[in-house]
Amino acid sequence: MNLTEEQKTIGRRNFLKAVAGVPALVVLGGAALTRGPIKGGPVKIALVGTGDMGKGLLNQYQREVCDLKALCDINPKRRAGMVEMMVKKGWPKPNEYDDWQEMIQKEDLEAVHIATPLWTHSTIAVGALNAGKHVLCEKMMAKSAQECQQMIDAAKTNNRVLEIGYQRYYNPIYQAAYTNIIKQGLLGDVYHARLAWHRNASWRRPAEDPPAPNFDASKYGYPDWEHLLNWRMYRKYSEGLLCELGSHQITAASWFFDSHPEAVYANGGTYKYKDGREVYDHIYATFNYPGGRTATFSSIQSNAFDENYEMYMGTKGTLIMTRELEAYLFNEGEGTATTRVDVSRQSSSPVADAAASQPANSAARTVSPAEGIVNKGISYLNEIAEFCSAIRTGGPVRCGGEKAMTSAVAILTGNLAAEKQARLEIPSPSST
Amino acid sequence: MTSDYQEKLSTAQRFALVALRTLIGWHFLYEAYYKLAAPAWSPAGGPLPAWTAANYLKGASGPLAGIFQRMINAGLTSWIDRTVKVALLLIGLSLLLGLFTRIGATAALIFLSLFYLLYVPTIGVPQPNAEGTYLIVNKTLIEAAAVLVLLLFDTGRIAGLDLLFKRRRVVSGNEMRAINETRNTEEPVPTMREAS
Repeated sequence: MNLTEEQKTIGRRNFLKAVAGVPALVVLGGAALTRGPIKGGPVKIALVGTGDMGKGLLNQYQREVCDLKALCDINPKRRAGMVEMMVKKGWPKPNEYDDWQEMIQKEDLEAVHIATPLWTHSTIAVGALNAGKHVLCEKMMAKSAQECQQMIDAAKTNNRVLEIGYQRYYNPIYQAAYTNIIKQGLLGDVYHARLAWHRNASWRRPAEDPPAPNFDASKYGYPDWEHLLNWRMYRKYSEGLLCELGSHQITAASWFFDSHPEAVYANGGTYKYKDGREVYDHIYATFNYPGGRTATFSSIQSNAFDENYEMYMGTKGTLIMTRELEAYLFNEGEGTATTRVDVSRQSSSPVADAAASQPANSAARTVSPAEGIVNKGISYLNEIAEFCSAIRTGGPVRCGGEKAMTSAVAILTGNLAAEKQARLEIPSPSST
Repeated sequence: MTSDYQEKLSTAQRFALVALRTLIGWHFLYEAYYKLAAPAWSPAGGPLPAWTAANYLKGASGPLAGIFQRMINAGLTSWIDRTVKVALLLIGLSLLLGLFTRIGATAALIFLSLFYLLYVPTIGVPQPNAEGTYLIVNKTLIEAAAVLVLLLFDTGRIAGLDLLFKRRRVVSGNEMRAINETRNTEEPVPTMREAS
């Protein structure tokens, strides 16, 4: 999304005006009125998958909420790097494993955080849940509706927390936009959301030597090291752009629409990078929501001008969320003029006050309107903190199994539609 | 304090004294409970770190601040933390149950005096992140004064587990002689409400 500096300034100011004056504080606790501290210290956790995602997550682990006991990865080089990083950050040295099952058996764990390639999610999650561990699994939930259902069932049977990590749910900007703009009706009726994630790169990882000369990827289900390194390129392991990028935005759109899509048209192909990859490098999908609402998603690998954004076009206003970092609000009919919407309900700003008094290490549940910009890491930080909190307090999670499965089914149906170049009904949660 | 003196109090007065003791006992006990429970989680979902007196003492500005700050610098923080937790717990139990009430009340008075002398309110305007407006007198001082009242009225002998000890002492001390003397006069034995 390319706005001029002037547009950005105005849009950002409008956004901040709209979110100020309404407390964005969301309390997730239970229902009792008189409540003291809930026993239990940091949650004993282990991370499975120490790739790029795992690294980003580990950076947001806080010792107040979790006690990192172990790291598991089939790549010893990556794993060692992460252990070193954590020790540098002052953590006690976590134990290392290449087998998640062995880790679950040997370690005294309460929870497992999964950040592995998509195709392994359900096996690890179900195994961990059946071993009595709570599970935080990074998106997308799993590679089929059946696998998603198995995860939900395992969580229910074992009475454990299952949360799927869609970080937008934990992003203070998204929370403020939902609570103070969408729910307040400041956009009027929204019939269209445009979701875009455009890049001009191959999506392949730079060439890298195997972690050891004798490293045998076939032990882990990959024919060779290259397939492991670039697992996102192959259909056995990955659901491609619509899943890896699109599922974030589709899930956010479903959240903002308070609904889920009923049908999807899609098409795409491998047009630019004919390098042996099995997933598309261009995909275009149109998701139909109830009430005549439509979200279009495009992800291309041949032009990065648009970067990534979500744009909600309402009868009264337009909301643009860019790169998970910034938000802009424009009043319909005024172009980029300052909004006339009166949102100054209080003279002081409880949002700002709450943010200012928030201890740095606690789960920040408020938006800081200082610049309208957040550090992207705070979403992961909140995600992990709220998962640990749900374990201890029994509070709800923002994206549990059912919600995540609904979203995953929409994405998987989208990929099928793209393959068939057709319109497909998305099975509703009750019929899957 | 003797039981004679306490029997002159009306039921309402005795009830009020015991209620005061119970409330202060609860306050101490809950402060202890919280400190012992941490690290824990707030019901709203945030982590509550392990409790330590260090920050409280570092921020102190009263007459005793220097002494405690030197103790912290000497590495006595964990000793202070343990002492405070255990003391608050024992004081709370003592006042709530009316057991060794005078010892409990004395200890409560000492601790409240310490808390007061660590933070004497000398600025009589509202302070950020604190309720109320105080000059010289704050709620800690008032609680200390209330504990002094409890100490002087020995409320464990109105209601509480201290009554168990009282019974034994009544028949073994001067009271026994008084009973005997009363009997010698061949007057009807007076009702000794709490003598067995």
